[in-house]
Amino acid sequence: MNARIPILKLNEVLIVSIQWELDDQTAIQFQEDLLNKMHKTAALGVVIDLTPIDFIDSFIAKVLGDVINMTGLMGAKVVITGIQPAVAITLIELGIRLSNVMTALDLENGLDKLYKELEA
Amino acid sequence: MDLRSSVEIITEWDIVAARQLGRNEAKKAGFGTVDQARITTAISELARNIYLYAGKGKIEIERVTDNGKFGIKIIASDEGPGIPDLRKVMEDGFSTSGGLGAGMPGVKRLMDEFKVVSETGAGTTITTTKWLH
Amino acid sequence: MNKIMVEGINKNMDEIIERWIRRMKEEKGERFFHFMPDHLVEKTSREFAELMTSNITDSSAANTERINDFTEKVVRFGWAIKFVNKAIDNFSDVVFEFLEEQEIINEGNLRSFNTIFRNWINPLRESIIDAYSTEWERTVSLQKIALQELSASLIPVFDKISVMPLVGTIDTERAKLIMENLLEGVVSQRAEVVLLDITGVPVVDTMVAHHIIQAAEAVRLVGAKCMLVGIRPEIAQTIVALGINLHEFTTKSTLQRGMQAALGMTNRAIVEVEAN
Ligand SMILES: Nc1ncnc2c1ncn2[C@@H]1O[C@H](COP(=O)(O)OP(=O)(O)OP(=O)(O)O)[C@@H](O)[C@H]1O
Ligand SMILES: [Mg+2]
Repeated sequence: MNARIPILKLNEVLIVSIQWELDDQTAIQFQEDLLNKMHKTAALGVVIDLTPIDFIDSFIAKVLGDVINMTGLMGAKVVITGIQPAVAITLIELGIRLSNVMTALDLENGLDKLYKELEA
Repeated sequence: MDLRSSVEIITEWDIVAARQLGRNEAKKAGFGTVDQARITTAISELARNIYLYAGKGKIEIERVTDNGKFGIKIIASDEGPGIPDLRKVMEDGFSTSGGLGAGMPGVKRLMDEFKVVSETGAGTTITTTKWLH
Repeated sequence: MNKIMVEGINKNMDEIIERWIRRMKEEKGERFFHFMPDHLVEKTSREFAELMTSNITDSSAANTERINDFTEKVVRFGWAIKFVNKAIDNFSDVVFEFLEEQEIINEGNLRSFNTIFRNWINPLRESIIDAYSTEWERTVSLQKIALQELSASLIPVFDKISVMPLVGTIDTERAKLIMENLLEGVVSQRAEVVLLDITGVPVVDTMVAHHIIQAAEAVRLVGAKCMLVGIRPEIAQTIVALGINLHEFTTKSTLQRGMQAALGMTNRAIVEVEAN
C-alpha cells in the first residue's frame, strides 16, 4: 500500500508530482526520500506539484513545511505549484501560511520561476 | 439512504478511510469543492487527534436538517485521557506533540458549529456541523 | 348573527373602505396612501378589505393562497410590519364603529360581537403576519444573493493581470464568497497578478482588513500575487489607527498606479506610439 512518490531529476532540479492522496506514512517516507535524493544529486532546486491534491490537513502541512525548511538548509530553493483554490482556502483557515516558499500556478510556471531564481 | 455512517479509528489507515467517507458524504449532500475540502480536512484533524491522543475512537458522519437548512454533522468521540485545558487547545499553536497546533482551532474555523465535551480520564466528544448555504 | 354582520359589511363595503383609507392616511410616517396613484390605493385597499372579510363566516380557514398573494404585494410596496398590523386594527375598528352606527351592534349583543370579532381578527392577523415574515425573509435573502453575485467577479484585464472591484460592505459570508471567486478566477484566468480594488468599500475595519489579508495570502498559495488598490486617505488613516499590518503586500492608492505596477511585475509597460 505504501507506494512511494516518484522524484524526477531534470538538470539541476528535482521534480515531484504528487498524484494521489497522501497518507501519513507516504508523506514521511517522501520527506526522507527527497532529502536523500537532494544530497545524492546535489540539486539546486525542487518543484513540488500538488495539482491533483484536494485537501491538505495540518499534518501534511507540517511535513511540507519541514521539507521546505530542510531543503533550504541544504542550500536549495523550493517552489510549490498547483495548490487548488479549495486547498488554499482551507490552509488559510487552518492558520497555515507556508510563508517561506515560492509558489506558482502550475509546473511550467514553477520551473520558470525556479530557473529565474537560480540565475539571479 | 443511510443518514448516519461511521468509521472506527484504530490504525493510521482509518484516518484515510474516515476522510474518504467524509468527502463522499459531503459530495452527495451537495457541498461545493471548497466546503468538501473543509469537511474532509476537519475530519482528518479530528481522526488524527483520536489516533494520536486517545489511541482509538470513532468518527460518525450524519446528515442533519434544521429549520429548512441542510448540513453534515461530524461526531468524533473517544474514551481517551480527555483534554485538561480546553481553552489552551483552542489557541493557535498549542500542541503537546510537536505538531503545528492548528487542528482544533482550525476545525472551528473550517466548520459552522463546534462543540467539545471532555472529561479528564473519561474521554472527549467533539461535535461539529457544516451547513449548506 | 354572523350573517347580519356580513350583510351589513358587504352592503356598505365602499363606505368602510373609504373610512379605512382616511384613517390610514392619518397614520404617522405613512407614505403608501399619499404617494401611490389613487387607483392603486383603491385596488390594494379593496383587496385588503376582501381578504379581511373572507373568513368572517368561517373563522377556521383563512384562505392561505390569498393571504400569500396579498402579503407578497405589500412587501413589494414596502409596507412595514407595524403598518400591516395597524391596517388590521384600523379595519376592525372601522367595521365595529360602522356596525354600531347601523345599530347592528347594540348594547344587548355587544359581548357576543366582541367574541365574533376576536375569532375573526386574531387568526387572520396571525396568518397575515406569518405570511408577511416568510415573504420578507425571502425578499431579504434574494437581495442578499443579488448583492453577492453583483460584486465579486474577477475581470481579466491583460494577459496575466486581473482586477476584482469590491463594492459595498464586506461581512464574513461575503468575504468567503469573494475569496472563492478570487481564487477560482486566478486559476482559470491564469493570472499572475490580481488587483483588489477597494475604492467601493465604505469602511475598512479590522475584520475587513483581516479578510483582505487572508485573501491575499490564499492568492499567494495558488501561485499569484495580490495587490490592494483604491486606498482612500481616510481608509489609510483607519488602517494605521487600528494598527493593521498590511506591510506584507503591495498597496497602491489608485487602480491606475496598481496597473502600472502590475505591468512592471510581469515585465511589461504601456508605451505611447506616434501616430503616423
Ligand atoms: N481527542 C483528544 N484527546 C486528548 N487530547 C486531545 C485530543 N484532541 C486534541 N488533544 C490535545 O489538544 C492539543 C491540540 O490539538 P490540535 O489538533 O489543535 O494540535 P496538534 O494535534 O497538537 O497539532 P496539529 O493538529 O496541528 O498537527 C493536542 O496537542 C492534544 O494535547
Ligand atoms: Mg491535531
